Amino acid sequence: MNATLHHAQALLATGRPEQALTELSRLPANEVTGSFAMQLRCAALSRLDRWAEVGDAARAGLAANGPDPGLLLWLGRSEHEAGRDPQAERALLDGLAMAPEDVDLLCAYADLCAAAGQLDKAGKLVDLAAARAPQAPVVYATRIQLAHARGDDREAQRISREFVGAHPENPVAHALLGGTSAARGHVDAAYEGFRQAAAARPTEQLFAESAMELRVARHPLMRPLRPILRFGALKTWLVAVALIIGLRAIGLPVLGGLLGFVWLAYCVYSWVVPPLVRKWVMRSWR
Amino acid sequence: MHDDLFRPTIREQPPPGKPPWRPESIVYPAFFGGPLAAATLGLLNGHRLALPAGQLAAIAGAGVAGVAARITVGAFTEGNSPVRLAGTVCGLLVWLVVLSLQRRPFRVATLRGHGPARLIGPGLLAAIVCGLFEALLIVVLVR
Repeated sequence: MNATLHHAQALLATGRPEQALTELSRLPANEVTGSFAMQLRCAALSRLDRWAEVGDAARAGLAANGPDPGLLLWLGRSEHEAGRDPQAERALLDGLAMAPEDVDLLCAYADLCAAAGQLDKAGKLVDLAAARAPQAPVVYATRIQLAHARGDDREAQRISREFVGAHPENPVAHALLGGTSAARGHVDAAYEGFRQAAAARPTEQLFAESAMELRVARHPLMRPLRPILRFGALKTWLVAVALIIGLRAIGLPVLGGLLGFVWLAYCVYSWVVPPLVRKWVMRSWR
Repeated sequence: MHDDLFRPTIREQPPPGKPPWRPESIVYPAFFGGPLAAATLGLLNGHRLALPAGQLAAIAGAGVAGVAARITVGAFTEGNSPVRLAGTVCGLLVWLVVLSLQRRPFRVATLRGHGPARLIGPGLLAAIVCGLFEALLIVVLVR
């Protein structure tokens, strides 16, 4: 592999996809359409969210190089992103026919199946990938997404912790730990996750936005809402209702009524205050 | 050996209709409106999430059972407070049925990028209209 490709790959790994694209454009004409150069191009474009161009690049690469698992992976991802799921499946299966143990292809296909609601098949695919490369970042990320889709937030957070433990330098790991912690109402852990992710990759808009959302959640005015965030609306509501009913049942209707009124005020607070805090925090950031 | 897994199973997705509501949020209209509000929103959301007919029937059945339970409470007690309480409890129970059936499909829908729709307007409307209708039903039938 020549120095330009090495350089482009390094730029991509450090989160500078635009520079990587510039670097790739310096390649001589006969190397531009090489399989690896095209894969790097697709990776850089996907980081910039230019998925239509990812598809074009993958097709151009396939036309120049013939069938290639790495390029079929990018074609499949871009078709999935464009909402053409059957075409995405065909590309990924073509890739898997050539490289049945390719971890990236297995995980991309698992993502596709999960988005189509086929969670069991997605689970089996990611298990295959995990048997092959249990510590690969893409395997962790796919397992976390799958656990989230199943509604198993605890498992999703557990895998995220494992991911951060195995790859403490990986910003995506921290961001996923932030996201899964937020889903369970662990506000401080969530903020820490996104803060580390944003620090490691300051160019990523999503990490910065999530970190700011959690700055909102950590605002002093949001402190009374911690129980709802921590235990979820369901448990908090059930406890409140059980208390109100219990007080009435043991012959303290006044106290029960009072608690009911406090609970109502709390609900109104939980609807009104978060948008206001968000507005204030945003303003102080601009 | 992975022949089954590598067989194509993805069919053309139907074009996205109305985005679904967050099933967790239906707790609010369920609490204030009662079982009918919970079941109505649950059914509408189930339709948006394209749930199978059996699950929609389960939600409708839970709603009917909830309303029947509330009417029964109304028939055997005096005063307003037990009926109100029964409305809240039955509403929450119906919502639990809705949540258990819709949590996964909702998460899958968000994977496809169909973000949640706002429930504030429809939720308020359902809570008020269904709540009043239920109250009327109880007054006419058992009071």
